[in-house]
Amino acid sequence: MKLALQLAYRNLVGAGLRTWLNVGVLTFAFLMIIFLNGILDGWNHQAKTDTIAWEYGNGHLLNEKYDPYDPFSIQDGHGILSEENKENLSPILLQQGSIYPEGRMVSILLKGIEVNQKTLKIPTTNFKENASAIPAIIGVNMATSTNLKIGDQVLLRWRDKNGMFDAKNIIIVDVFKTNVPTVDHGQVWIPITHLWEMTGLENHATYFVANEKFKPKAIKQWNYVSQKELLHDLDEIISMKKSSSSILYLLLLAIALLAVFDTQVLSIFRRQKEIGTYVALGMTRSQVVGLFTIEGTMYSLFATVIGCIIGVPLFWYLSKTGMAFPTSSQDMGIAMADRIYPVYGISLILGTVALVVISATIVSFLPARKIAKLNPVEALKGKIQ
Amino acid sequence: MKTETIISLENVTKRFPVGEGEFTALDHINLTFTKGEFSGLVGPSGSGKTTLLNIIGSLDVPTEGKATVIGHDIASLSHKASAKLRNHHIGFIFQVFNLLPVYTVFENVEFPLLLQNKTASERKKAVMEALDWIGLADYAKKKPNKLSGGEGQRVAIARAMVKRPEILIADEPTANLDAANAHSILKMMKKLNRELGTTFIFSTHDEKVMTYLERIIHLRDGKVELDERIKNKNQAS
Ligand SMILES: Nc1ncnc2c1ncn2[C@@H]1O[C@H](COP(=O)(O)OP(=O)(O)OP(=O)(O)O)[C@@H](O)[C@H]1O
Ligand SMILES: [Mg+2]
Repeated sequence: MKLALQLAYRNLVGAGLRTWLNVGVLTFAFLMIIFLNGILDGWNHQAKTDTIAWEYGNGHLLNEKYDPYDPFSIQDGHGILSEENKENLSPILLQQGSIYPEGRMVSILLKGIEVNQKTLKIPTTNFKENASAIPAIIGVNMATSTNLKIGDQVLLRWRDKNGMFDAKNIIIVDVFKTNVPTVDHGQVWIPITHLWEMTGLENHATYFVANEKFKPKAIKQWNYVSQKELLHDLDEIISMKKSSSSILYLLLLAIALLAVFDTQVLSIFRRQKEIGTYVALGMTRSQVVGLFTIEGTMYSLFATVIGCIIGVPLFWYLSKTGMAFPTSSQDMGIAMADRIYPVYGISLILGTVALVVISATIVSFLPARKIAKLNPVEALKGKIQ
Repeated sequence: MKTETIISLENVTKRFPVGEGEFTALDHINLTFTKGEFSGLVGPSGSGKTTLLNIIGSLDVPTEGKATVIGHDIASLSHKASAKLRNHHIGFIFQVFNLLPVYTVFENVEFPLLLQNKTASERKKAVMEALDWIGLADYAKKKPNKLSGGEGQRVAIARAMVKRPEILIADEPTANLDAANAHSILKMMKKLNRELGTTFIFSTHDEKVMTYLERIIHLRDGKVELDERIKNKNQAS
């Protein structure tokens, strides 16, 4: 084994350009796989962190009549949670409404939130009371689509508890920037006390956001959905993106492996006399098969080494400075920052090394098997077709 | 000098399938070689010289008959056992030198010792000694493509002899060399034959080679035509 490694190393280094071309394509494939997966992992990580910070908290306690996937359930999907169960929970009340920026009607989701909550990053401390209007905050995306700025007032209409329309002005007291479209797009945040008053639903909540100290327990008429369950959808979207991008890099890897395969086939054909010489000098045929296989494997080992030399500083730099992406988070439907900080985990790197090395070994072994059937006398004559 | 049989061939026959039928390349060859012999196979092209050398070198097996080399029945050896026999006991020299192109002279000569798992210091000592025999100690770091034909064949001799094999098989070793180089390597081989007691078996068309041989076996159509022991002018030199 040690001998075969030593010989394979000499043969590859001695072969010069041909070796470095193969190593080059393998290195490229190797780096691409890590690069793309690192971005997706970084995005995933960021999307999760952001979504937890802005929306999910440590989990949601949902009113049993409220179904997050059914907007019609907002009407009746709320209730009062008994005082002793409210520990470590902060209430959110949802209501449908509409606003009239520049005279056109825009349907919105009204979200009542406690002014002094600390669980979510929604900047509720910026709710400043105003004599003439209800203080409201919106996200940048909402602000852009409705053309609203801080200080603007706009008419809000909603239905009260009896189903009657009521209207009042809201004043935009803050516009926050977030990567999480589901707390921004089409949403208006107001203090929950105002919403209680407006709708007559004193102390009602559609759901509660749990903080870290929250201990889930069974509460009648309320369902607890843990952070992990909430993140499930996000995981699915990312893993879908992963499998679609894997087609790209598997194709790349296939091209690189084809180059190795090709070199091996050609090499076995061109180096017949050498193979015959090895056998004449006392190598067994399986040793020669091993030698050629290891030569192929060694392309991938060289690629790993060169990949590390290029990749370690490059990926380290990228993971520190992040990468800008032109697509906005709204287009993606899930949280996506302007800048993604790729995450290059140890399992990603080791997994990729294993993938490249094992696949290179297999494609080297397949043509090398032919050597075992080779007649050394014919090989020495260089006669094999 | 005691005459110990090192190779014995009994009715060795080799047939190759050709089209529908068979071609008999070797036809009931009966020969024995004793330790330290300096002999050669001569005969026209196609007479079976290479085929016979390949069987003696355990690169090939007879179709019929029995070839015994250093106590081993060639036909019954496993791949592994025949590789071991070649690695330890049989050296080969070819018409085209078959040096490994990416290795230096040193590494080429070292190769059989690597297969024998010798330590680095043992290898170095043996390789330098072998390079001394052929007078190319200064060429250790050169690559084969930088060598002239004569130098290339000398390196091939060093590679074949470095492990001090019992048998050295040389298939037309001078065919690609000019007269001066041919004489030079023949003298070298003769010297090694005397000093190390190695049994040499040549195949050749070359008159120059024949002047060094102690025994000439004439082959024709796969049969031994004449087996003569001769006194040659170069034998003592
Ligand atoms: N694998 C094979 N298949 C068919 N015929 C073969 C094979 N190997 C050798 N022969 C035939 O056997 C005969 C003897 O070949 P061999 O190579 O031993 O001759 P040779 O005496 O070494 O000739 P040369 O002087 O040209 O080297 C030739 O006629 C050759 O064509
Ligand atoms: Mg021949």
